[in-house]
Amino acid sequence: MKYKSTIILFIILIILAIMSLFMGATDIGISTLISGEKSIYSDIFLLARIPRLLAILCTGVGMSVAGLIMQQLCMNKFVSPTTGATIQSAEFGIALAMIAFPTMGLAVRTIFAFILAIVGTLLFVFFIQRIKFKDAVLVPLIGIMFGNIIGGITNFLGYQWEITQQLSTYFSGSFSLILQGNYELVYLVVPLIILAFIYANHFNIVGMGEDFSKNLGINYQGILILGLSISAVITASIIVVVGQISYIGLIVPNLVVLFKGDKIRGTLIDTALFGAIFVLLCDMIARSIIKPYEVPIELIVGSVGSVIFIIMLFYKLNGGRKVAVNEQ
Amino acid sequence: MSNEERKKRRRRNRTVYLILIISVLASVVGYLLFNSYLSKPKLFQYILGLRLPTLVCMVIAAVAIGAATLIFQSIVNNQIVTPALLGMNSIYTFLHTAVVFVVGTGSPLYLNPNLSFCVDLITMGIVATLVYWYLFKKTGHNILYIMLIGTVLSSFFGSIQSSMIRIMEPDEYDTLLTTLVADFNNVNGEIITIAIVCLLLIGIFLIPDLRQLDVIAMGRNQAINLGVDYDHAIRRLLFGVVLCIAVATATIGPVSFLGLIVANLSRQIMKTYKHTHLIFGASLLGMIALVGGQMISQHIFHFTVPVSTFVTIGGGIYFLYLLLYKKGANS
Amino acid sequence: MNVQDLIKNYGSKTVVDEVSFQVPKGKVLSLIGPNGAGKSTVMGMISRLVARDAGIIHFEDKDLNKWKSKELAKKLAILTQHNNVQLKLTVRELVSFGRFPYSGSHLTKEDKEIVDKAIAYMELESIEDRFIDELSGGQRQRAYIAMVIAQDTDYILFDEPTNNLDIYHASNLMRMVRRLCDELGKTVILVLHEINYAAFYSDYVCAFADGKIAKFGTVEEVINKECLHDIYKVDFEIINVKGKPLSVYY
Repeated sequence: MKYKSTIILFIILIILAIMSLFMGATDIGISTLISGEKSIYSDIFLLARIPRLLAILCTGVGMSVAGLIMQQLCMNKFVSPTTGATIQSAEFGIALAMIAFPTMGLAVRTIFAFILAIVGTLLFVFFIQRIKFKDAVLVPLIGIMFGNIIGGITNFLGYQWEITQQLSTYFSGSFSLILQGNYELVYLVVPLIILAFIYANHFNIVGMGEDFSKNLGINYQGILILGLSISAVITASIIVVVGQISYIGLIVPNLVVLFKGDKIRGTLIDTALFGAIFVLLCDMIARSIIKPYEVPIELIVGSVGSVIFIIMLFYKLNGGRKVAVNEQ
Repeated sequence: MSNEERKKRRRRNRTVYLILIISVLASVVGYLLFNSYLSKPKLFQYILGLRLPTLVCMVIAAVAIGAATLIFQSIVNNQIVTPALLGMNSIYTFLHTAVVFVVGTGSPLYLNPNLSFCVDLITMGIVATLVYWYLFKKTGHNILYIMLIGTVLSSFFGSIQSSMIRIMEPDEYDTLLTTLVADFNNVNGEIITIAIVCLLLIGIFLIPDLRQLDVIAMGRNQAINLGVDYDHAIRRLLFGVVLCIAVATATIGPVSFLGLIVANLSRQIMKTYKHTHLIFGASLLGMIALVGGQMISQHIFHFTVPVSTFVTIGGGIYFLYLLLYKKGANS
Repeated sequence: MNVQDLIKNYGSKTVVDEVSFQVPKGKVLSLIGPNGAGKSTVMGMISRLVARDAGIIHFEDKDLNKWKSKELAKKLAILTQHNNVQLKLTVRELVSFGRFPYSGSHLTKEDKEIVDKAIAYMELESIEDRFIDELSGGQRQRAYIAMVIAQDTDYILFDEPTNNLDIYHASNLMRMVRRLCDELGKTVILVLHEINYAAFYSDYVCAFADGKIAKFGTVEEVINKECLHDIYKVDFEIINVKGKPLSVYY
């Protein structure tokens, strides 16, 4: 059955979501909720837990789709917001906004983050396209370095204007401060993903190369910029609200592709669902390790994610070796 | 004619050494005396007491990083990678935190800096050598994979380390972080003596292998052809590299790109293949960079911006340049 | 040197399958065969650069693995195709490395004489102080051969030495190989792609196909129509030039 995996993923997600709602510092039983009395419990539920769950879902869905789009457009499995300088560019934008307009709120920071994230990602992609690497592994390496440099500049600004502390709390990805009223920006992910779904086939074609797309009458540069901008804006809006969470965009699409193949339309929904499950699981781990405190989710995703990534690399390495021997 | 050329080369090398040593001395003197209130002896003494340990730590770190990077580059036969880029710093801070995590902040292993350092050295020597040895074997010395996996490893160990500190002290996270991880403005002066002793011991341990290193730099095939017991030598050298990085990270904290810059500069200006010279040159360059950089950081930026920030920005750009235009040695 | 039942697998694929032969002492032996026939892998195992999965290599009545690396380096030298050229190493310094198995990095007077001789033998005097990264491919190749000569081993192994060389340098190199054998009494083993170089400059030829030895024998025994067709699956014409079989294919 064609949609079997999608349905299974969806059911898992629902179960996990419900479990997550009833997890936390205060024990809230279902009966208390159903009784319908307005109490402190239902407030916690409505103001903290549901917003948190929604933010988690948007983050998981958004980051993994952003990664999927970038991988398709660059035709490289190792490109993602983490390894493509998107995250660091968005953070650079936020730092700039904090310095230039310290009194202005979320709106200005968001705009700065959007612009810088788009610019940084486009710069990186045009850069690697200009050079045309043969080696797939060199691209993420350059992206990571690129990100390091931008991060270094952000640090420098932070030290110079003495906002290092502020920045590091701001950037460390965590859902613990999500409350009703300060997270709604992540909903932006939803229309962007619908847009991505509409253009999915175009992204596939553009991934095949410039000549290939021209031959099919597709505006190569236009679609490329559109796709990259979508993933940059998704990433940036998540960073503004939640902070930086690495590796999701890198790992989730790759794991899904292992089972589903490369056609973006077929994998987009699965990738989104799986991303949400992944982040939700990590969040539950982060909340249960040192109850009643919680470990920032970035750390959990960072540990789990980097291990999976290394396993992926070994997998590719072994696969590559087999191919090489066969060609001999 | 050829004799003359050799003489010319020797003269040039001597000049290079002279310039390097003078620059080191200049930055040392500058660092110690700049704004040091020479006219007020009491204050001067106080300032000297603050600056001397930092200076010694930076010198130790410069030697350790220079040696470690050059040896490592010759082992893997590539001039772009450095131990720091492959996450060795992060492994060290991770192991250090892990030890404290296991024994608790009340244990002498945390409170006694010398003891703590020794335990770290031993765990680092074993764990990191095994990790990288495995990595080399598994990737078949494929340098791009080693680099990518190394960078990822570094963020992996960083995440685990932060998580452990959170779990230990969710409220006092920042305080514990500063006591656990040294940095430029907060050098680990208590372990100076033992760090120097360690460096010397590592040096003695590695002397026979350093001679083979000149041959190893020509590549695995050539080294085996010339009778080097390759795997054995590599393991010993790797062990030395790991310990050097441990010493450097313990004294001044993690500095990512310093090794990359000094090792490549040393190769460029020393114009020789001999590792003793190259290591010496890299150490001197490292001192100039660290001490001079610290002076600038103190007196121009008034401590606000740590040297490591400049090293990261400059080194990152330099790394990209090397990656794109040099692609390291042969692959 | 005696090779018995050599086996090498990469993953599930067997690239060298029960290869046995005896290396004739004081002669030039060429290993030929199509791509992937296993000749370079055999060479790698003979020279201890590649680990073998099964089989025995007897070298002077002792298994190759039992030799101390340093002692073996005085008896057997291998020159591979890819060499690191980025080092700031002069030609003389490179050739001096040939004495490394004997004296480490401190050369004795005798070592220096041997190095001088090797440099003279390869006619490198005029460039002995140039850095190897500044040399042309042919010059660099000669410098490496000088190093191998300075290593003064009874056996010299070359892995595809004519690759990346133009016709002039390649034929010069092959003549040099002949001289190493005839004048200095070395045993030389080569991996070659060009059948005609093998035919003209070696005493024995060992032809590989699909990881097995297809034919081992003198030049005349191997370089003939039937044999070459079996190995390469292409039709050959053999023309006699100066008493040697020149093979032509198209």
